[in-house]
Amino acid sequence: MSLSSSGHTSQKTSGGGFSYTSKVHVLDKYKVVGFISSGTYGRVYKAIGKDGNGKEFAIKKFKPDKEGEAAQYTGISQSAVREMSLCSELSHPNIIHLVEIILEDKCIFMVFEYCEHDLLQIIQHHSQGSAGGSGGGGAGASQQQQQSSAPTNNPAPPSAAAAGGKTPIPAPVVKSTLFQLLNGLHYLHCNWVLHRDLKPANIMLTSSGAIRIGDLGLARLFRSPLNSLYSGDKVVVTIWYRAPELLLGSRHYTPAIDLWAVGCIFAELLGLRPIFKGEEAKMDGKKGVPFQRNQMGKIVEVLGMPERRRWEGLSGMPEYGHLATVGQSQQQQQQQQQQQQQPGNGGGGGGAVGQQFNERGINVGLERWYHNTLASTGYPPISASSGANGSNPADTPGELGLDLLNKLLEYDPIKRLTAEEALRHPYFAGEDGGGKPSANCFEGVDVRYPHRRVSQDDNDIRTVSLPGTRKTVGIGGAGGGGGGMDEGGAGGGKRGRYVGD
Amino acid sequence: MAANYWASTQYLHWQYSRETLAQMRQKLKDEEKHLNQLFPLPDMRYLSCFFSKLLARLGKNMPVPIRQQALATAQVYLRRFYSKVEIRKTNPYIVITTALYLACKLEECAHHIKNFVNESRALWPSFITASEIAKVGECEFYLISEMSSQMIVHHPYRTLLDLQTPLNLSQDDVSMAWSVINDHYLTDLPLLYPPHVIAIAAIFLALTLRQPSTNAQQPQTATANMYSQASLRKDASDPTITGTTTQQKKSQHLVNWLSESNVNIKAVMECCQEIISLYDLLETYQESVCKEAISRFTRAQGLDK
Ligand SMILES: Nc1ncnc2c1ncn2[C@@H]1O[C@H](COP(=O)(O)OP(=O)(O)OP(=O)(O)O)[C@@H](O)[C@H]1O
Repeated sequence: MSLSSSGHTSQKTSGGGFSYTSKVHVLDKYKVVGFISSGTYGRVYKAIGKDGNGKEFAIKKFKPDKEGEAAQYTGISQSAVREMSLCSELSHPNIIHLVEIILEDKCIFMVFEYCEHDLLQIIQHHSQGSAGGSGGGGAGASQQQQQSSAPTNNPAPPSAAAAGGKTPIPAPVVKSTLFQLLNGLHYLHCNWVLHRDLKPANIMLTSSGAIRIGDLGLARLFRSPLNSLYSGDKVVVTIWYRAPELLLGSRHYTPAIDLWAVGCIFAELLGLRPIFKGEEAKMDGKKGVPFQRNQMGKIVEVLGMPERRRWEGLSGMPEYGHLATVGQSQQQQQQQQQQQQQPGNGGGGGGAVGQQFNERGINVGLERWYHNTLASTGYPPISASSGANGSNPADTPGELGLDLLNKLLEYDPIKRLTAEEALRHPYFAGEDGGGKPSANCFEGVDVRYPHRRVSQDDNDIRTVSLPGTRKTVGIGGAGGGGGGMDEGGAGGGKRGRYVGD
Repeated sequence: MAANYWASTQYLHWQYSRETLAQMRQKLKDEEKHLNQLFPLPDMRYLSCFFSKLLARLGKNMPVPIRQQALATAQVYLRRFYSKVEIRKTNPYIVITTALYLACKLEECAHHIKNFVNESRALWPSFITASEIAKVGECEFYLISEMSSQMIVHHPYRTLLDLQTPLNLSQDDVSMAWSVINDHYLTDLPLLYPPHVIAIAAIFLALTLRQPSTNAQQPQTATANMYSQASLRKDASDPTITGTTTQQKKSQHLVNWLSESNVNIKAVMECCQEIISLYDLLETYQESVCKEAISRFTRAQGLDK
């Protein structure tokens, strides 16, 4: 099907004059071997090059508005244009490699190198206690779909405890992953590109353990002269990874929003579930973008209430007024916890318990989260004297991991680490005996991760080459989203992540 | 890439030597000998001037006027496209509309395709007739495909703003250089030189050509003023004739700064020359000539249907 469903309409010219026909044909160059995923924009397929060396590719197809006979040119969406232009321009070992773009039959085919894994898949593999074998719970396309779109009001229940045997992602894997992720992000930021949608599903790994940041559909240049950062689309970033300044209504996107997401991803690699798993408040009719109280509450639960004396810009945030209401709903619970651990140390925030810090500047709430999480995931205890109890300090992210996390999950975007600073953090120097990051995430790791699941619907693929067959055969929930090609306007995006007018 | 010109697709794929560019044009010509004979066209720079005016008109008529940077990007797209596609086989009005539509998406000031089509139809009803959304959508594929999806464009404006302080440029100097940059899109310079070289040439021209008596000129009319001042060009190296002492000092400062930088001075001078001859040529620009030439080949081939 589908890879070229409207193949026979291309001869019709839409005007008396020129008509566009592609000089390159997808199916001449690539053999589609399966279907990977369906999203808001279109579909991703696995393919093998026909040039004989058996190389694998992922082909992302942006579908036109209506498939089949009625297909029309309606203008390419802003997010497709962004992704096409940025992927063509960028070149870095930790950014997804674009092979080519083919514009054919009213569809856009972006051909990428194939990545066998992604972080969501790896996290799920460990959280389902199947890290020993490959049969158990490979993250299938359907699960990924669930999580890769904006979270719903019914987040999937934490599966780990029930499955009864989550296993930690080996600490060296976490370190290498994070280092490569930051390295790619540093490159993006050096080139004035904000990713704006970092989340586990968008961070892919090759089978040789190289991290590739993907999905640049929301990425955009910042600092273009004359280009206001306030303009254009509004809220971005899947809510669980959304930085507090965005939750508080800031429309000034800075690289710091990507670093908050990195902090969340770091925490998720350790805990095997999102650290701040809030529920998204839906658009409220004509009232516009609602305050994301629940999500902010999840953050405050762990970190405490942000305070003006520690975050200068806080009171200037458009949603600052709402912040107090977050505190109230969490207050009692927070206070109980605080009283147990920090007697006599009152909070300073707007009526709720503020952040507390220990003598090393670590947020006490985060410290508590960190130690509880490491223990429950199954990392060995961090021992002050390295190597005590026969444990290897490289088996745990250690106190330096906490220090890095603390500096990434910093409320004040100005104080939050930059990608470059994070790369220089002692965690990566391995001063505590924890080792330096390997260039290969999987180095020295004996876990075998399951291959990416591709659905192999033979009928489907044959349909492509059958002349005269134009009907689209739906596969695996492919009906999911509207066309990616209809919105020409800023803020008119159909992608779930836009909250715009 | 975006921050590093030397790693950008603009430098790697869209900057040519004059010889290469001439060969590309010759190839297009050879492939369509007949069309070329049948439909003679005015100087490319006249056509570019015509296109830029059409773009500006379309940009101004949009619900929110389109800013200069997007107009500039659209002009670069046109130039790239027509270095690979024979203009006589296209409907330039559609291509112009499409180039601006696409450029606005790249420059983060997008509008719906409908707005572009409606406005361009209102402006040029005899060239844009039927339901044109599909045509513009199709042309977008054509445009992107010919540009190999390389759509991020580096402009000289940024260098100009960066150099304002180091070179002690006044607001008037900057406005003047800014309009010179606007005008350079009418030439092949965007395909020949890096944006910072063009920016420096524009500053150089602004400093040498700006006279004390015309301090208050409007950027909009700068083109015209520039032309009249361009008659001074032969004396540009003679400090007694050009500018005030302050302008003179600034020029001297620029020259010193240039000699200490590793900017290719020869290239800067070539850009200056090119722009000065552009102003010469524009003296005799006639919109109607361009318009007629275009309507001849679009009508004859039914490209306007
Ligand atoms: N290069 C690749 N190799 C293998 N699989 C890929 C590749 N690129 C994308 N995929 C798969 O396709 C899915 C969707 O791709 P991508 O994230 O680019 O689309 P998207 O719909 O724009 O993203 P989102 O899920 O954020 O809406 C990914 O989560 C991943 O599972």
